Amino acid sequence: MGPFNVQIRTGFSTLAAHLYNLYENYQLVERDLAEFHVQISPARLIKKPFSPYARFFLDGRSLFPPFPAEQALAALEWGINLAIATRINHLLLFHSAIVERNGYAVLLPAWPGSGKTTLCTALVHRGYRLFSDEFGLMDPGREIFLPLPRLMPLKNESIRVIRNYLPEATLGPEIRNTHKGTITHVRPPNESIARSGETAKANWIIFPKWVPYAPLRLDPLPGSEAFLLLASNSFNYEVLGETGFQAVTHLIRSCRCYKLIYSDFDAALTAMNALTDDI
Amino acid sequence: MTYKPPAHHRLLLNAVINPASLVEYNAAEWELLLRLTRRVKLLARLAIDLKNRGLLDQIPLRAANLLQSSLIQAKRLQQVAHWELNRISWALKDTDAPVIVLKGVAYSLAGLPESGGRIYVDLDILVPKDRLSHVESILRKKGWVNHHKLSAYDEHYYRAWSHEIPPLAHAERETEVDIHHTISPPTSRLEINTSSLFSAAVAVGNSGYRIFCPADMVLHSAVNLFQNNELADDLRDLLDIHDLLLFFSKNEQDFWKKLTERANQLNLGRFLFYGVYFSRLIFQTPIPENLENDLNEKPTALSRMIMHYLVPQALFPLHPDKHFRRALAARTLLYLRSHWIRMPIHLLLPHLAYKTYLSIFRGKAVARPVRG
Repeated sequence: MGPFNVQIRTGFSTLAAHLYNLYENYQLVERDLAEFHVQISPARLIKKPFSPYARFFLDGRSLFPPFPAEQALAALEWGINLAIATRINHLLLFHSAIVERNGYAVLLPAWPGSGKTTLCTALVHRGYRLFSDEFGLMDPGREIFLPLPRLMPLKNESIRVIRNYLPEATLGPEIRNTHKGTITHVRPPNESIARSGETAKANWIIFPKWVPYAPLRLDPLPGSEAFLLLASNSFNYEVLGETGFQAVTHLIRSCRCYKLIYSDFDAALTAMNALTDDI
Repeated sequence: MTYKPPAHHRLLLNAVINPASLVEYNAAEWELLLRLTRRVKLLARLAIDLKNRGLLDQIPLRAANLLQSSLIQAKRLQQVAHWELNRISWALKDTDAPVIVLKGVAYSLAGLPESGGRIYVDLDILVPKDRLSHVESILRKKGWVNHHKLSAYDEHYYRAWSHEIPPLAHAERETEVDIHHTISPPTSRLEINTSSLFSAAVAVGNSGYRIFCPADMVLHSAVNLFQNNELADDLRDLLDIHDLLLFFSKNEQDFWKKLTERANQLNLGRFLFYGVYFSRLIFQTPIPENLENDLNEKPTALSRMIMHYLVPQALFPLHPDKHFRRALAARTLLYLRSHWIRMPIHLLLPHLAYKTYLSIFRGKAVARPVRG
């Protein structure tokens, strides 16, 4: 997927069936090395000997406590994200959704109440190409973004919202009682996966915020504020040191920054289309 | 005796000894090599070996990216550890308590050429036991706090049985500071002449920092590996010994003679024996052949034979996809050995029982016997 190859092993046939359905558009890797080797294996808890539990392993090491076996898909997706976030430093990793339109990337950074995954899901079913709903992967030397189109986890109320708004979207099973509540994964549109080798420069940074019943507002945001919000929300900004500082500086200088308040997808889409038509 | 490693050990060893040969590795070999190297904390080391030879662009791009990633992380960890040392020495500037910098940070202060690729996650310092509470109270006054939440048992473990106090960290930073008062647990049968280590310590230029003299640095490294550690996946620590021996034998006059004399003086010959024995066996370190003859204390022939078979099995990482039963057994035996030599049996059995109890009923491990 995107710039990374992932090897997944599991003995759980339900997980395998979900993956077969949700991952079917990805290419199988032959004769190339995989960066990440993950495994979901059965686990038994002494305290709960009769409930099926499972464990996530990265290169044979367990990264977090065992979880109920029916949450395997959520744990797998989360574990792969964790692996990327802890091991990758040759790219700057923003905590941000990224979509592309008219050849340029739009950053939708995470911040409290952003609902970036939900907005991102709506956008990529309405003409935008998915880069990622979680990781803005930037090559700091070339100042370009790399797509990493992975499953998009919707949480709680967002699931019903997306089912109503996008009946055509392919959704995975509803996974209940995770530490984030109920989760369902959206399969990325086929085209986003097929074109995951096509990088792009960024042109817009939009900090979205979903506020119930609020009228739409799209206000310019000062570069200094955008810088702090973006840098402090990056997974490895501090690890990259000066490289990270230079990269974010260039990024802010070359992008137009906005704050978007919305309550309704159609209005947000109209505003974002107008913005991204103006290159 | 020679060492005939299995294929996946050979793959890793060849990469460390002869990095130039890595341009010949195919994708499958790289994939296994990267996993093994990460397991033994040598990814950044491999990266710097290839970078110094200008070979990073002659290997598969995916491998180069992972190596770069770990090198960037290593640089960052080195930066924050050195900054922590700067802050510690600022906090202690008005005391007369001598401080010696240990391990990773000390290797880089000593100018070890490979230290740029070494990952170290904490700062280790040594202070005399009679100044320990003084130093600790100053640091606590100036913003350092317990790095982890400690149970009463953990606290007791550190204070009574360990050679260091519970780790500290400054409230505004992440870096762990381990403050030692000697180099081996007081519960072990080893008697360390700590004051002699202090009087032989050397200044690092005019930085104000002090580190062990070259011989003591090697001896500490050997004691740490063969007395304090459990040896599993500790290949990096043996490579430290190899690097130190190469570096000091090139740059210090009469280094080998000083080293054996110092080992005899401190009664640490047994650890130096294992250090040079395995460094030579695995990394083919050019060490004078009869060096061991000059040591007063040596392991018995039986100990040597057992260690010869067990140690490499533990130091090298397990194959990530197939576990060799022999390697697992070797690791278990060396794990038990590491506890056995650190604690007398009347302390050891209750400690292991308590650890087992907690791992089952609290779902987390407690103070594992402290490393280093």
